[in-house]
Amino acid sequence: MSDDVFLRVNDVSKWYGDEQVLDEVSFEMDRSDVTVLIGPSGSGKSTMLRCVNRLAEAQEGSITLDGEEVLSPDTDVDRLRREVGMVFQSFNLFAHLSALGNVALGPRRVLGLSAAEARERATSQLERVGLADQLESYPAELSGGQQQRVGIARALAMEPKLMLFDEPTSALDPELIGEVLEVMRALVDEGMTMLVVTHEMSFARAVADEVVFLDDGRVVERGPPEQLFERPEKERTGRFLERIASHD
Amino acid sequence: MAGATRPRTVGERVADTDPSVGRILLVAAGALFWGWLVVSWVNRWLGGVIAPVGEPLVAPDAVEGALAAVPGLAAVAPDVAFVVGLTPTLAQGTWLTVVITGASLVCGFFIAVPLAVARVYGRFSAWLSLGYTELLRGTPLLAQLFVLYYGLNLAASVPAALSGVFPRDVVWVAILGFTLNGAAYQAEYIRGAVESVDEGQITAGRAIGLSKLESIYYVVLPQALRYAIPSWTNEFVYLIKYSSLAGFITVPELYYLANRVATETFRYTTVFLVLGAMYLALVLTASKFMERVDDRVAIPGLGADRER
Repeated sequence: MSDDVFLRVNDVSKWYGDEQVLDEVSFEMDRSDVTVLIGPSGSGKSTMLRCVNRLAEAQEGSITLDGEEVLSPDTDVDRLRREVGMVFQSFNLFAHLSALGNVALGPRRVLGLSAAEARERATSQLERVGLADQLESYPAELSGGQQQRVGIARALAMEPKLMLFDEPTSALDPELIGEVLEVMRALVDEGMTMLVVTHEMSFARAVADEVVFLDDGRVVERGPPEQLFERPEKERTGRFLERIASHD
Repeated sequence: MAGATRPRTVGERVADTDPSVGRILLVAAGALFWGWLVVSWVNRWLGGVIAPVGEPLVAPDAVEGALAAVPGLAAVAPDVAFVVGLTPTLAQGTWLTVVITGASLVCGFFIAVPLAVARVYGRFSAWLSLGYTELLRGTPLLAQLFVLYYGLNLAASVPAALSGVFPRDVVWVAILGFTLNGAAYQAEYIRGAVESVDEGQITAGRAIGLSKLESIYYVVLPQALRYAIPSWTNEFVYLIKYSSLAGFITVPELYYLANRVATETFRYTTVFLVLGAMYLALVLTASKFMERVDDRVAIPGLGADRER
């Protein structure tokens, strides 16, 4: 397989016990692409995302990232994760560290920067997500939207070549969703390669290069957002989109 | 507010009756207690520059004479004089009690943390840790001390470098015993706290490329050890009192010396009342100190709910 494709997910399957959660999932991304995974809860979106940085282990299929085989037993998982940023639905900020401490931990302890360098990098990443005035605040002192922006800054501080977003706005009050999406849009504009699981269809429509609809662990349909949202080929996709729209 | 859900200590309740007066009384009592102890210890180390070694800082006869002159206090004057006469012995015993408790607590902590981590995150090591903890918690501490002292006769094999540091080498055996036993209890408190740290914390650590051990070290333990402080303080307090069991393997600590005086003088009530007051003062100091530590390291924004 000649590969100028940046991320290739090929026939990935995964089971939890007897239950199959991913069934031969395939899609590709080029550098600077934004791919959005959508689908009902339990469809395997988050699991698929976690297989890319091996927080979950796929049992079959292959994933190549920038020419490297992700699922190989020889893969250095810690190095892989250094290069792939992840943003969580529940933020998962380190509760005992300030915003600055959260963002600086990776550069300091994983990349081996000096304390001063790590601090400097963390400061600039927090400025990037609009939190220059909250450097010393602790997670419990921040709003959900601010916490999630710290989460994004924490991932960005590792200078990842791919960012994974696992329902980054699902735990937020509606009025706080905007500030997080705004930061994500800015990243898109900067050319970040992003794989996003979300229910924010307007975000998907606006920034995605490709939308992948998963149901029951299977790719039902994939395509550019205008096609998938306006003229879905599969009846299942249409039904899902209608249901989402009626809740919007 | 910090501490809102914690059972309140005697100190807090005293302080609540009248915040200013209660606090002043408590601080004054603490200052008097520790001042007396430190002056007594220094006097002993310096070979009796303040008072002859083994003699009280204040002469018992003088105290008795002074009290006898006060109407209403004359009746207790002999008892007070007797207690004053005991003070050098009490100070000497308290020194060992403090050293044994402190050393065992610190050494035990460094065993307890790996035990707790192994229990939560290990596979084979979890079973080892469980076995150790259950064995040490499930058998009498006194029996453990007897095995170390009488059974294995460890006092005879104290390394040359450590031998002679204390008046008797058996002190090392006591420290070893309390370390091994206390580690099991401390591990239980710390394990509970480690388990209470959200799983997402370690996932987030792994996601930025920290190894599992690094995630535990940099992310889980700094939180867990904070959460563990209130319950861990129990072990601190217990250990102060359990250290009296060292007397049963001939360590001349506070209980041992007081008991000897009691059997020699038959003044059991007076001696053991004073002994109780000594332990109470030590325990109050420990719990007050740990409260301070707890407030000091509290994570901003997390109030009482941090004491899970």
